[in-house]
Amino acid sequence: MIFITLLLAAFIAVIRTVNVHQEEHIGSKVKQFLDIPVTNADDRFQRALLEDAMDIFYPDQTEKNDTIVQEILSIKDDQFNEQLQKSHEKRRLSFKAFIEISLMYVKFLVIYIIVMLLTYYGVQTIASWRFIREKYAEHTHIHFPDKSLKHKITFSKSVKSFIKTLFYLVFFSPAYVIAYSIRTEFNTDSVFFMIFLAVVSNGLLITYTNKFRAFLISESRKGYIDTARVKNLNEQFTISDKGITPGALLSPVKNFKGHLFNHIFKNAHFQYLSTLKEQASFLITGLIIIEMALNIHGYLNYEMLRQILYKNYELVVLIAAYIFYTVKFTEIFTDYLMYREMKKYENR
Amino acid sequence: MKTGNNSFLSSVFFEKDKRWLFIWVTALCTVGIWDVLFLNKPALGKVVTGFVNTFVIAALVVSFTLLIGWGLTIALHFLSRKKNKTGYIILTFFLNILRSIPQIVGVLFTYIAIAALITSGKATSGILIFPIMAVCMSLFIVNELVDLMRDRIDHFMKLDFYNAMRVCGIKESRIINFDILWKNSRIHIFNKLIAVFGSAIFLQCSVDFIISVGLSSEVNAVTLPVTLGSLLAKIDSKQDILAIGNTLTNPMYFPNLFFSHLLGVTVAFLIVFSLVCIYHISNGYAERHRL
Repeated sequence: MIFITLLLAAFIAVIRTVNVHQEEHIGSKVKQFLDIPVTNADDRFQRALLEDAMDIFYPDQTEKNDTIVQEILSIKDDQFNEQLQKSHEKRRLSFKAFIEISLMYVKFLVIYIIVMLLTYYGVQTIASWRFIREKYAEHTHIHFPDKSLKHKITFSKSVKSFIKTLFYLVFFSPAYVIAYSIRTEFNTDSVFFMIFLAVVSNGLLITYTNKFRAFLISESRKGYIDTARVKNLNEQFTISDKGITPGALLSPVKNFKGHLFNHIFKNAHFQYLSTLKEQASFLITGLIIIEMALNIHGYLNYEMLRQILYKNYELVVLIAAYIFYTVKFTEIFTDYLMYREMKKYENR
Repeated sequence: MKTGNNSFLSSVFFEKDKRWLFIWVTALCTVGIWDVLFLNKPALGKVVTGFVNTFVIAALVVSFTLLIGWGLTIALHFLSRKKNKTGYIILTFFLNILRSIPQIVGVLFTYIAIAALITSGKATSGILIFPIMAVCMSLFIVNELVDLMRDRIDHFMKLDFYNAMRVCGIKESRIINFDILWKNSRIHIFNKLIAVFGSAIFLQCSVDFIISVGLSSEVNAVTLPVTLGSLLAKIDSKQDILAIGNTLTNPMYFPNLFFSHLLGVTVAFLIVFSLVCIYHISNGYAERHRL
């Protein structure tokens, strides 16, 4: 991280140097005359005054003086127009700009942490709920084959499949498709909508829910489950007081004490921790897409897009560095979580 | 006795990956026929071009990811076994930097660079641009494949057969390339490549949408090929998508979506439905092969 920070700082320095050289290069031929105050290049009086002054200082080269004056006026005119057009666009990495971007970064970080916590909770809750439901269906299919709907095609099952497909379409939609679809009916520029969009769109929630479910399934097939059964743990896969309580399922810190599912969940959770880095990267990608594609003003990634457009690369590098730090700190935090969990399993 | 037709139908019905592949192709054909009937010709041409470009680039991304990923895996494996670890450290460092850049940011920057090259005349717009775009995207996806392949190699190296083959005098490169990666991991790799295909479509569409919406004056439509993402960002498509929201409060307007707003609805559907189907195909393939 230190190396990358130094690299980015060097990059900013290079951009600054290149910009200075470019500015110097513009007036290289008449550089010494560019300090002459000319407020209006179209003013005949100022032009005549400049020509006379040149003739006094450099006599016997009237033609050359005319060319120099013309060039000075042309540069002054260009500089004036450019200043007028890009006065709101051109920015350098000043203290004020740094503070502004840092505040945007704080806002980005808050949204990122909220979405991360919501998806972390959502992934585990939805996956557990699906797993329990499937286990219950499996149990019914084995013990009460007449009641089982596993291989039957019914109307209600078809409707459910249709609704499920619709949900999948929403969950897999890129954020900008959902946002534009409902833009006429809702305010899509609010923070709450952004958080909602980041959680449900871009396939984030559904992908990691299915991953967690796969971990649950693979853990449920392992040998220690039989040992737990022999120890007479509760193995009723229903969401009720007899099986898994709704409170335990919906709780942010999940604990299914005395139930077989507790062991399956804890081992699956350990595996899920290793995918958090990937999920964080995916989430950052999603947030960037939302801010950039929806042109939400005052947010970090929209600002990056704007600064790319205005070619203010010093600011772009600063924003890119902030994003890089977010990814790196998430990786460090995830490694710490894994380490803590490992210590628990190894009785350290 | 089972006939060929029956086994095909049963595999489509019971095997999730084949079922979703069938659903995807059928839906694409249906949308295609509907568009031929009801979408005007210029718009239809754009949709076809956008669709073909998007999928060609995604297919190229898959090919380059496989090539670069395989090469990097082998390089990392052999460099890690050398006494001098400099090469290994440099390569790992480079891959870690790529990993730390969110894919969308990496692809966005490289696309802007490509557009600048085209504008300055250093790269000619045309068929050559496709592989360049694909390589750039592959660089930010390749880590997923490298991780998978290295995991597979590490897993098999712990088993007896690796040492047994080494004792038999079989070259290590053959064991790694042929016995581990090809014979024992190609299903895993193929499954990952299906997921890469989905990621490539998602990234391609998102980056093109962002560029078209946010950098339209800097990187215009002429510099980069038309894709589904850039088509969706066009004002006509955006209005069509906005009309979907209108149906939430005015359900009677729903049928109009399939006639008056066909361009935007088609493009959005092609993106979203393809992503859903590719996800299910990848999942189904993993389930079928018990990965």
